[in-house]
Amino acid sequence: MRKKQQQHKDWGVSYGELIWREFRKNKLSIISLAFVIFLFIVAVLAPFLANSKPYFIRIDGRLHFPLFADLKRNDYCIFLAAALAIVQLLLIRRNRRSIDPSIRGALLWRQLSVSTVILITGCILIYIFVPRRLDATDYKAKLAAGRAANALFPPIPYGFGQTNLKVREQPPGPGHPLGTDDVGSDVLCRLIHGSRISLSVGFVAVGISTLIGVFFGAMLGYFGGKVDFIGMRFVEIMMAVPAFFLIITIVAFFPRSLFNIMIIIGITSWTRDARFIRAEFFKLRKQDFVQAALSLGLPLRSILFRHMLPNGIAPVLVNATFGIAGAIFIEAALSFLGFGVAPPTPSWGQMLSLGVSTSGRFLWWLTLFPGLAIFLTVMAYNLVGEALRDAIDPRLRKAP
Amino acid sequence: MSRDNLLLSVNDLSVTFLTEDGAVKAVQNVGFDVGKGKTFALVGESGCGKSVTALSIMRLIPSPPGKIVGGTINFRGHNLLKLAEKQMQRIRGNRIAMIFQEPMTSLNPVYTVGDQIVEAIRLHRKRTTEQAWADAVEMLRKVGISDPQHRVVEYPHQMSGGMRQRVMIAMAVSCAPSLLIADEPTTALDVTIQAQILDLLDDLQQQNAMSILLITHSLGVVAERADTVAVMYASRIVETADAEPIFKQPLHPYTQGLLKSVPQLGYRGKHLPTIAGTVPEPLHFPPGCKFHPRCPIGADDPRCRTAEPLLRQVLPGRLVACWYAPGYETEQERKEYEARYGKHPNPRPSSTAQS
Repeated sequence: MRKKQQQHKDWGVSYGELIWREFRKNKLSIISLAFVIFLFIVAVLAPFLANSKPYFIRIDGRLHFPLFADLKRNDYCIFLAAALAIVQLLLIRRNRRSIDPSIRGALLWRQLSVSTVILITGCILIYIFVPRRLDATDYKAKLAAGRAANALFPPIPYGFGQTNLKVREQPPGPGHPLGTDDVGSDVLCRLIHGSRISLSVGFVAVGISTLIGVFFGAMLGYFGGKVDFIGMRFVEIMMAVPAFFLIITIVAFFPRSLFNIMIIIGITSWTRDARFIRAEFFKLRKQDFVQAALSLGLPLRSILFRHMLPNGIAPVLVNATFGIAGAIFIEAALSFLGFGVAPPTPSWGQMLSLGVSTSGRFLWWLTLFPGLAIFLTVMAYNLVGEALRDAIDPRLRKAP
Repeated sequence: MSRDNLLLSVNDLSVTFLTEDGAVKAVQNVGFDVGKGKTFALVGESGCGKSVTALSIMRLIPSPPGKIVGGTINFRGHNLLKLAEKQMQRIRGNRIAMIFQEPMTSLNPVYTVGDQIVEAIRLHRKRTTEQAWADAVEMLRKVGISDPQHRVVEYPHQMSGGMRQRVMIAMAVSCAPSLLIADEPTTALDVTIQAQILDLLDDLQQQNAMSILLITHSLGVVAERADTVAVMYASRIVETADAEPIFKQPLHPYTQGLLKSVPQLGYRGKHLPTIAGTVPEPLHFPPGCKFHPRCPIGADDPRCRTAEPLLRQVLPGRLVACWYAPGYETEQERKEYEARYGKHPNPRPSSTAQS
C-alpha cells in the first residue's frame, strides 16, 4: 500500500523537480543559493536599506515621506520585476498542489508570457509617467536645526552619491560601520547599491550572450554542413580575440554607461554557449524523437526550440551561472581599471580601485570589503553552477 | 487496382546519398501502390532501403547527404516531391503519420506523453487545450493504455517499451491520417507484445479506414496482416505480389530463401536453412543481378552475372525481377541467351518455382 502511494507521488515528476531534488542534497550549494538570494533581496531593497532620506519626517506639523517620494524610475522597474517574480513562484507552487497537471504546462507558459508583457509595458509606463525628480533637501540638517521632528531614517542613513569632505577616508567606526571613501561617501551604502550594478551586469550580460549563443549554436548544430563550417570559423575568430582587451578597446570608444558594458560583455562571451548548443544539437538531431517530431509535421521553430533545446540546454544553464560570476568579475575589473561605470554610480570594482590610489595612503577597508563582496558573490555563483551541473548530469560529478 | 481506390503510388523512386566514399544508391527505381484501407508490407534485410523509402515518402531524408534523384510519389493525386515544405508540413502527421522502430527513444523525454499528443492534435486540428487533452486521454484509451487519465501526465521514462510504442501509435493516429507508415514497429519489443501491437494496428485500421505501409524484416509479421507484399533486396524491389500467393509460391530465389529461413514448428533437430553470404555493401554492388553471388540458381549463370533483371509483371498482380522466374524471359531474350552463352538451363528454375 505504501509503495503504491509512493508511486502515485512520483507520477508526473518533471525534469525541473528531479534536478531540484538532486541539487538540494548538497549543503554547500544550498548555502550559496541562500547567499545569492540574500544578495537579490539586498539589491532590490537597496533604497530602503541605505538612503539619506528618512522614511517619514514631520515638517511644520505635516508628515512627509521623502524616501518613498524620491524613489527613481529604475527603482520602480526593479520592484515591479521582483513582485512579478514572487507572484510567479507562488503561482507555480500553487499549481503544483492543486491544478490538474494536464494543463500545468500550458498555464506556466501563459503565466510567463503574461508577466513578461506586464513587465515590459509596466517599465515603459513608469518611464513615461514617473517624472525625473531630484530632492536635494538635507533632512538631517533640517532635523538638527530643529525645523523638523519625528523622523525615522534607514539603517544606513547615507545616499550612495552623497559626499561629505569632512569625513573623507575614515576607517570603520561609529557612524560609518565600514568607513568612508575619498569623497566621504559611506562604504557600506555604496556596497549595498553596488550589488545592484553587479547583479544586473551579471544577468543582462549573460542573458544577451546566452540568447546569441543558443540561437547561433542551434542553427549551426541543426543545419550542419556549410552553414556549420562558416559559422564555426566565425566562432573561432571570436574566440581567438582576447575578450578582455576587446572589451577595453570597445569601452574606450563608447560612453561609460552601464548598458554599454552589459551589451559589450554579452556580445563578446557567447562563443562558449554556441559551441555547447551546437554539440548538443548535433547529437540530438539524429535522435528518434526529433525524427518523430518532424514526422508529425511540426514547424522548424517548434523542433528547434521546443523539442531539441530543452534536451540540450543543461550545459548552457550551468555555463550561465558561471557566466554571471564571470561578468561580475569583468565588470569589477573594468571599473577597477577605470573603464567601468562613471563615478557617482557605485560599483564594487571602482571602490576597490580607490583603496590603492588616493593620497598615497593604503585604505584597507576600501580594499577588503568590496573585495570580499566580489569574492563571495563570484564564489557563490560558481558553487551554485557546480551543484547545478552535478544535479543535471550526475555522471559529471567528481568522485568523492 | 483502380484509380479510385489508390491512396499512395510510388513510381520509379531513386534516392542517393553522397558520402565521402562515393554515391550510395540507397533506393533504385522503387515503385508500388498502396490501396485505400489496405496494408502494404515492404520486406527486406537491414540496409536494403526500406526505411529510406519510408522517409522519402515523408520527405524526411536528411539532405545533404541524401537526395531524391528521381521518381514520383503520388498521394491522393498530388506528387509529394513537388510540394513546398510548408504544404508538406501540413501533410505530415495529418494525412501521413509515421511510427518508428525504437519506442524507447522516439518520445521526447522532457515532456509528458500528454503534452506530446496534444501538440500533434493542436497542430492539425482546431481544438482548445482542454479539448485536446480530452482527445489525448481518449486516444490513449483507444490504444489500450489502462488508467489513461493518470498515464497522460506521465513522462516517457515512467513507461515500458510496449506502452511507449502504444503512445507513439496514439500520437501518430491522433489526427486520423489516411496513411500510417510503420517502420519496424515491433522489432524492439518483446515477442508477447509484438502481436498485441500488430493487433492494435489492425483494429485502428478497421476503425479509421486507414492504409498502412508496414516496413519489416520479419516475414512472420507480414503473413497474416498484409494485403500486398513487396520484397526489397539491395535497394531494389525484387518481387511484389498479394500476400497469399507470395507465401504459397515465391518466385524470386531471395524470397524463397527468406521463407525457408523462417523457423517453423516441427523443425526440431534440423539446422535452420540460411541464405549463404552477406548483403552486398551499397558502395560495391555486384554487377548484374545483385543477388547472384548468393543465388542458388544464378551464381554461375553468365547472364545473371552481367545483366540486371528489372521488375516485370509475370502473372496478374505479380511482379518479379529474376531471369529464371517462370514467364519472365521473353522469347527473344531466350534466343539471345542461347546465341551468346549456349544451352539454356531451363527447366531448372521453373521446377523450383512450381514446387
